[in-house]
Amino acid sequence: MVDLNVKLGRLALSNPVLVASGTFGYVREMAGFIRLNRLGGVIPKTVTLRPRAGNPTPRTVETPSGLLNAIGLDNDGIDHFRTHHLPYLRTVGTAVIANIAGEDEDQFVEMAAMIGEEPGVAAVELNISCPNVSHGLDLGIDPFAVERLVGRVRESCPLPIIAKLTPNVTDIVAIARASADGGADAVSLVNTFRGMAVNWRSRRPILANDVGGLSGPAIKPLALRMVWEVARALPNLPIIGIGGIGEADDALEFLVAGASAIQVGTATFADPTAAETLLDDLTRKLDEAGIGRVTDIIGTLRSNRERS
Amino acid sequence: MDAVAPLCASRRTVAILENEPVARDTFRLRLDDPAMARSIRPGQFLMIRPANGSDPLLARPFALYDVIRDASGIPIAIEVVYIVIGRGTAALSRLRPGDGVIAWGPLGNGFGPPPDGPVVFVAGGIGQTPFLALGRWWLGGGAYGEGQPLTSRSSSATLLYGVRSKGLAAGVGDFEAAGIAVELATDDGSAGHHGYVTDLLARRLERGERPALVVGCGPPAMLAALSDLVEKFDVPCLLSLENHMACGFGACFSCVASIRQPDGSVDLRRVCVEGPIFPSRDVVRPPTGH
Ligand SMILES: Cc1cc2nc3c(=O)[nH]c(=O)nc-3n(C[C@H](O)[C@H](O)[C@H](O)COP(=O)(O)OP(=O)(O)OC[C@H]3O[C@@H](n4cnc5c(N)ncnc54)[C@H](O)[C@@H]3O)c2cc1C
Ligand SMILES: Cc1cc2nc3c(=O)[nH]c(=O)nc-3n(C[C@H](O)[C@H](O)[C@H](O)COP(=O)(O)O)c2cc1C
Ligand code: FES
Repeated sequence: MVDLNVKLGRLALSNPVLVASGTFGYVREMAGFIRLNRLGGVIPKTVTLRPRAGNPTPRTVETPSGLLNAIGLDNDGIDHFRTHHLPYLRTVGTAVIANIAGEDEDQFVEMAAMIGEEPGVAAVELNISCPNVSHGLDLGIDPFAVERLVGRVRESCPLPIIAKLTPNVTDIVAIARASADGGADAVSLVNTFRGMAVNWRSRRPILANDVGGLSGPAIKPLALRMVWEVARALPNLPIIGIGGIGEADDALEFLVAGASAIQVGTATFADPTAAETLLDDLTRKLDEAGIGRVTDIIGTLRSNRERS
Repeated sequence: MDAVAPLCASRRTVAILENEPVARDTFRLRLDDPAMARSIRPGQFLMIRPANGSDPLLARPFALYDVIRDASGIPIAIEVVYIVIGRGTAALSRLRPGDGVIAWGPLGNGFGPPPDGPVVFVAGGIGQTPFLALGRWWLGGGAYGEGQPLTSRSSSATLLYGVRSKGLAAGVGDFEAAGIAVELATDDGSAGHHGYVTDLLARRLERGERPALVVGCGPPAMLAALSDLVEKFDVPCLLSLENHMACGFGACFSCVASIRQPDGSVDLRRVCVEGPIFPSRDVVRPPTGH
């Protein structure tokens, strides 16, 4: 038997396979397709302090091996999340990581404090990176703002804190370092890349929001590079790898590059059973490779420019 | 709010039995899926994509066209009819019998029991697909899903079917064989009425006909015209929406439509899990223009 337990700061998981916020609904939608308790954890859709209608449609469009989305954080607000979704989430039998987004620092702090009072939540993931609402991105691209935000959230909430970063920056290491300095238990790398799709005949962007965030297989190499850079620069900061992960090999590549856990996102839309299949295959592949503990391969990637 | 896919929905890899052209750019796909055939009901849909490759990445939604039964009436396969419009449907059209697809379903709310009296289906483009199984069921010609047998049936069913041109009309013979009368409208006048399919309904309503129920499926502009018409004549009407979908099971929030709630408020609802069938009076139209 392969030991799949992983630890990210104060957060312990029974295996490294998580599902990404916004791609797994509020989790109940997936119960008919997947055995939820097999996953290392689940991350429901981002909640905001107040209800948000989100963007007009079309909100998504497929691009070559990718998906552009501009959902716009459509959600019913944190009160509804606490009274309505959390009671269900406590029953799913795996770690529940609440994902929150504030319009400013104070809202993040207020929401983190509210979640911190709730039983049955394993960690809080801060969505400081949503490309479809201006505040999220502005906040997540400034290292000083990120450090201060994470620091204040840690003071207000006793749970492990994960900062989910945007890749739409020149220097991801600087933002990751700011998160670590602020006291983040881990960083999630990465949210979607800003992009667009155009209908030249109508001279219109296809998304109602004009621009959106790109996800899926198309972004995997970009995300892998960012995980690898952060892992090398900040070897003590646990990383959750995200971006185009759909199969066990994808996940294993992120793990060797330095991620301690991974999230399956868009792949769930292409196959609602993707995360569970990935977990089975990952376990089998580690076993076949004679690797007894998944932690034995995390961060084992070596540069071709290093001498053996 | 808490809507999820039907409990019987599941994801499977199934083999293609047939993938035959039935009209211009239009194909009938038969899938070897007895479990889906036993559980799916008219108005429900499934998501389908080729089993191999990540481009196209996502599955596409298709309505149940009909359930295929063996000689003793046991459901053994399902059919969908689709028109090639983009990369996803083009990829499907290249698949051959024996190739695999990944599919999940049955999805969506589907239709309820029939109204007492005549029903009129109004279809634009490929929007005729939900109405074969529905007409068969409501006319008492077949049982679907694991629900209760019908206690009533519709007295007649008519399909008003609008296409751009005659060559795009698909499955007219299937409808007629199921006892559904078909009237065509074409944009170019190549068959039937030269003009909008809603003109055909308007004529009937102006003559004083009052169907027990009108059901519409088609492009947004057609559904808007239909909604105006049934409102004017105060005829009950259901619409089957075809919003753009990425997952089909309620997880992505791509497919939302503005739906009037029982308390009068308007809320964005996921068409894949709360629809695709809604009363026309509850479907709030987006402002026209861009
Ligand atoms: C519940 C439901 C049932 C449907 N049933 C059928 C059916 O029985 N037969 C059939 O041929 N089609 C049906 N459709 C529409 C079908 O899903 C789309 O035609 C298909 O997804 C297009 O995929 P594509 O990759 O070929 O086109 P794309 O390249 O994705 O898109 C080409 C064009 O089609 C539009 N489009 C894309 N997806 C959809 C969509 N889901 N609905 C409407 N327009 C879309 C795009 O905006 C674009 O303009 C149904 C849709 C829904 C939501
Ligand atoms: C439709 C959609 C909605 C998303 N919504 C959220 C969200 O609400 N909060 C969030 O933190 N990330 C959101 N994401 C980003 C994903 O969690 C993930 O970071 C990104 O999609 C990259 O991973 P992938 O390539 O595996 O999908 C969303 C992604 C998609 C495709
Ligand atoms: S298509 Fe994903 S929520 Fe409806």
